[in-house]
Amino acid sequence: MQDIGFYRPQTVSELKEYLNRPGARMLAGGTDIIPKMRQGKFLASLLVDSSGIKSLQFIDDQGEEIILGALTTHQEIAGSALIRNVNPALAAAAESIGCVQTRNRGTLGGNIANASPAADTIPPLLVFEASLNLQCQTGARRISLEDFLLGPGDTALQAGEFIHSVTFSPLNGRWGCSFQKLGKRKGMAVSVVNGAAALELDRSGKIADIRLAVGAVAPKVIRCRKVEDHLLGKAPSPIIYKQVVELTQDEISPITDIRSNKSYRQHAAGILLSRVFEEAVDLARGKD
Amino acid sequence: MKIIEINFMLNGQNIGLNADPTRTLLDVLRTDLGLTGAKDACGGEGECGACTVLLEGKAVNSCLVFIGQVQDGSVITIEGLNPAEGYHPIQEAFVEAGAVQCGYCTPGAVIAVKALLDSFARPSEQEIRNALAGNLCRCTGYNKMVDAVQLVMDGGSDG
Repeated sequence: MQDIGFYRPQTVSELKEYLNRPGARMLAGGTDIIPKMRQGKFLASLLVDSSGIKSLQFIDDQGEEIILGALTTHQEIAGSALIRNVNPALAAAAESIGCVQTRNRGTLGGNIANASPAADTIPPLLVFEASLNLQCQTGARRISLEDFLLGPGDTALQAGEFIHSVTFSPLNGRWGCSFQKLGKRKGMAVSVVNGAAALELDRSGKIADIRLAVGAVAPKVIRCRKVEDHLLGKAPSPIIYKQVVELTQDEISPITDIRSNKSYRQHAAGILLSRVFEEAVDLARGKD
Repeated sequence: MKIIEINFMLNGQNIGLNADPTRTLLDVLRTDLGLTGAKDACGGEGECGACTVLLEGKAVNSCLVFIGQVQDGSVITIEGLNPAEGYHPIQEAFVEAGAVQCGYCTPGAVIAVKALLDSFARPSEQEIRNALAGNLCRCTGYNKMVDAVQLVMDGGSDG
């Protein structure tokens, strides 16, 4: 381990002060950062441990918007009746992460800031067009999650800045959403491909609004806008589901790595997206 | 490295020690405090669950917690589960069900079950399997652990 300073602020104002110091980096649950530090892949001269800040651990229903504190754990999200109701895809994604031991430590803000292309909480947040509330000592700003993610491990966070909370608006009417992932095994596995869908159907059963996101097949989790545009206004059918498989191929740029290879991901991403789309349609139809 | 003073509750007792805050809870438990129940089987990746302890009553991998993060917290290890004499009902059930073989994963698995039964009085078989999904075992296997949890429930123990 490196020779570094360690602070454990108890409040958001202390956090801002410590993060403003040179070389400071934030630690949350530690499930990604601690193994990385051990491998020498995470460098900091000052480690600011936020895991004791209780005021960043909340799930708040404001009606128009749902707000989750950045330090809310995956286990808390998976077990939240509110999240299961308004964004069951996010609850499913949180529940699919690691095991109970890692879900009890890993946080939503940590999963987002880590910016893995395979992060499981990101697709279900992208399809709800989530935004992040960022703060630093000199101010605060709001940014869409899509704009926040720049590439693998790369985000729009500036020095001294941190994710305070995550917010999205619930869908209304005949809506449905879904999250699925493919891994090497059921428990503990990092996603080979993951994806989410959220949509609304109009009175005639045609698609009035649709968002699709897929992970681990591009430098960051991406929205599939060409596929979305194609689906808008159409009535879902087995032919349409099959078209999703083919259309997805043009939007992704998977690589070969330790978990899978390019051609498998190319093939599987389309099938996975078709499945989450179909599942979201079924849920929306169930709301008749 | 800057050594800091760290105070926390360990198995119900206040404890204070001086340590590099970026050492893991697992390392401090085993090296400084002589509590060798929690084990390292995966090299600190959080993959195996052999180092599972309770932190604020929740099951966590102690290899993925810095000792500095435990400041003012509460930790229960397998050593803190024992009554003054004899064994905890979960431990007895593991023995009775044959859920112990080499024993390396057992402390972590018992703690994971303790966390489960503290939250759910009567978990379903699927809930038991989910709660043990992060605890790897390479000899007894998992069915006997599930049997052990069901034994605890049937024995009317409060876990």
